[in-house]
Amino acid sequence: MRIRPIARGDLDGLQALSRQTGVGFTSLPDNREFLASKIESAARAFEERTPVDDRLYFFVLEDEDNGELAGCCAIEAQVGREVPFYHYRLGTLAHSSVQLDLHRTIDTLFLSSDHTGDAEVASLFLRPEYRGADRRHERNGALLSKARWLFMAQFRDRFPDKVLAEMRGVFNKEGVSPFWENLGSHFFPLEFNQADRLTGLGQKSFIGELMPKFPIYTTFLSKEAQACIGEVHEHTRPALEMLKKEGLRWEGYIDIFDAGPTVEAYIDDVRAVRNSTLCRVEVGAEPATELGSDTRERPEWLVSTTAMVGFCACWVGRGPEGEVITLTETEARRLGVGTGDSVRVLST
Amino acid sequence: MLVVRPARSADLPALERLAGTATPRLTNLPAHRDRLEERITRSQRSFSRAVDFPGDEHYTFVLEDRERGEVVGTATIRAQAGAVDAYYTYRQETLIHASQQLNVRREVQTLSLSHEVSEASLLCALSLDPRYKGTSAESLLRRARLMFIAQYPERFADLLAVAFPGFLDEAGESPFWASVGEHFFQRGYQEINHIAGVRSKSFIAEVMPQFPLYLPLLTPPARAAIGREHPDHESALEEMLAEGFVRSRHVDIFDAGPVIKGERERLETFRRASWHPVRIRPAASLPDAEPAMIANQKLGEFRCVVARYALSPTGQLMLSPEHAEILGVEEGRAVLAAPLALPDAIDALDEGEL
Repeated sequence: MRIRPIARGDLDGLQALSRQTGVGFTSLPDNREFLASKIESAARAFEERTPVDDRLYFFVLEDEDNGELAGCCAIEAQVGREVPFYHYRLGTLAHSSVQLDLHRTIDTLFLSSDHTGDAEVASLFLRPEYRGADRRHERNGALLSKARWLFMAQFRDRFPDKVLAEMRGVFNKEGVSPFWENLGSHFFPLEFNQADRLTGLGQKSFIGELMPKFPIYTTFLSKEAQACIGEVHEHTRPALEMLKKEGLRWEGYIDIFDAGPTVEAYIDDVRAVRNSTLCRVEVGAEPATELGSDTRERPEWLVSTTAMVGFCACWVGRGPEGEVITLTETEARRLGVGTGDSVRVLST
Repeated sequence: MLVVRPARSADLPALERLAGTATPRLTNLPAHRDRLEERITRSQRSFSRAVDFPGDEHYTFVLEDRERGEVVGTATIRAQAGAVDAYYTYRQETLIHASQQLNVRREVQTLSLSHEVSEASLLCALSLDPRYKGTSAESLLRRARLMFIAQYPERFADLLAVAFPGFLDEAGESPFWASVGEHFFQRGYQEINHIAGVRSKSFIAEVMPQFPLYLPLLTPPARAAIGREHPDHESALEEMLAEGFVRSRHVDIFDAGPVIKGERERLETFRRASWHPVRIRPAASLPDAEPAMIANQKLGEFRCVVARYALSPTGQLMLSPEHAEILGVEEGRAVLAAPLALPDAIDALDEGEL
């Protein structure tokens, strides 16, 4: 398994992926034309033919055994540059009067575009057949998530100071967001999915036009809706944990539709960005315990190449000794590197 | 015989009784002895002070039943609704949220805290003994204040406002307060109303949420209460609309009761009031005529009664000796008279706006 930039030949594979993502994954609609343009713009981003603040770096996880796409992930270089990027910021207002013997704090949702210009890690999807219990040891999800940090570390000057990730919010058993029902539906004459889909397609201008501009006192929302604020969907919890381990934190920003948390960090503070190092490759003989044999050993070391166009990342069986990392011939072939090349290495 | 006159210190027990029997209890007429005493003192000071333009004067009047020897009603004018503190209201506003992309246009109603009414003169704190409800005494008490303002225009603003008590449910609770204020104060409507009366309302208002409220987020009963008067005040509201007041976009911040407003020149009492010299005739010999409010021309000794609008062919107003005595006028002195009856009310929101 390896991560690589999406290529123009991946349209069929990407469409197959989009059909599996389902409701709630809005950035990959099953729309061939849209996907084709997405691939084209990603390809141009990796070729550095588009402005640095306007790039969507879209990666796929490739199963070399059958050539299929197992998953995808992306980095948006800067959000909010072409269309507004909105959040609610959960704020606190003191509400106090000595004479009334009153001292309380009132939670308030302020409409915010504070994250304009930040990078975003997004669109992480792994096909179910690659994440079942029998494949958990392969750490495919972690590979998708963490490879992005190596890319950002390697091409640090292409990214701004901060990075964020939007996490899916809470939905009830009927698949309805209580937060949306209680707030957004009063202002948007749309179903949640419709609104969310338009957002995924990048057609967000309606948000600014229809959104309440004044702060919302959360006390006016139903208890159920208030309980959604900053909470993630249970399926999103592992992804959130992984980001938290890298040092991303919830600073009170939530999605305006489902109130899911947005976590964020300074890119330089992200654990993987800080700890990854450059090493020289030594291609050695295949050891007895080649990764991918059925040893079920959880890989620890993540390696990526240092080129943008041919960027590639995968797990390897061992870490570096000093500034040298020994790769097996299979690993070296997978990454497209040879002895003497430079790679970026991360212990996870 | 009934007369409206300025309140004096001896009226305190009566004011206390009237404050306690007001339905619903009025914020600006708290049943609190010290506050009422202050109110009388302040009023006396206002009547005796030379005033060139409206400020923090309060003029408190009482309705006295001379036959019973009782004070049976009270009402106040605040020269400026927000002279020292700001006078807070919620202003109903409409925002258009439209999206070309989605081809939708949606109107969203909000309530914004406003100080706009602060400049107006406020007619307030009216309480009447229930035995006189629906009689001409009620109209006299309510509108004698206009007869006073008509004589001393420099003491008041061109714009007058009246805040009517808002809708309360059968338990005496305000659905509006329950959906708005209670979130922030965690106190019931009656309690906060009392505190506001004893201290000041702006003192509470300063701790109200300062950002506009979106109506769709309020409960349906709270929304229904916006701009709706207390059932006991329907006829009073109707009378003031007939007088020429109009509904405004402003509502009370506690119970969302309607605030109506009127430009002086457009009010019937001002338009129809006229001065007449007095001729005193025995009551039995007075011709039949429509009832009118008759007021004397004495600031601190202001008196206003309801009498027949009986004019002599030469334009003199014929008064009985009893009325002349109550008004403190001799033959030949001028009095201000305005018909008590009003044309039918037109209940409409003024599009011109405050």
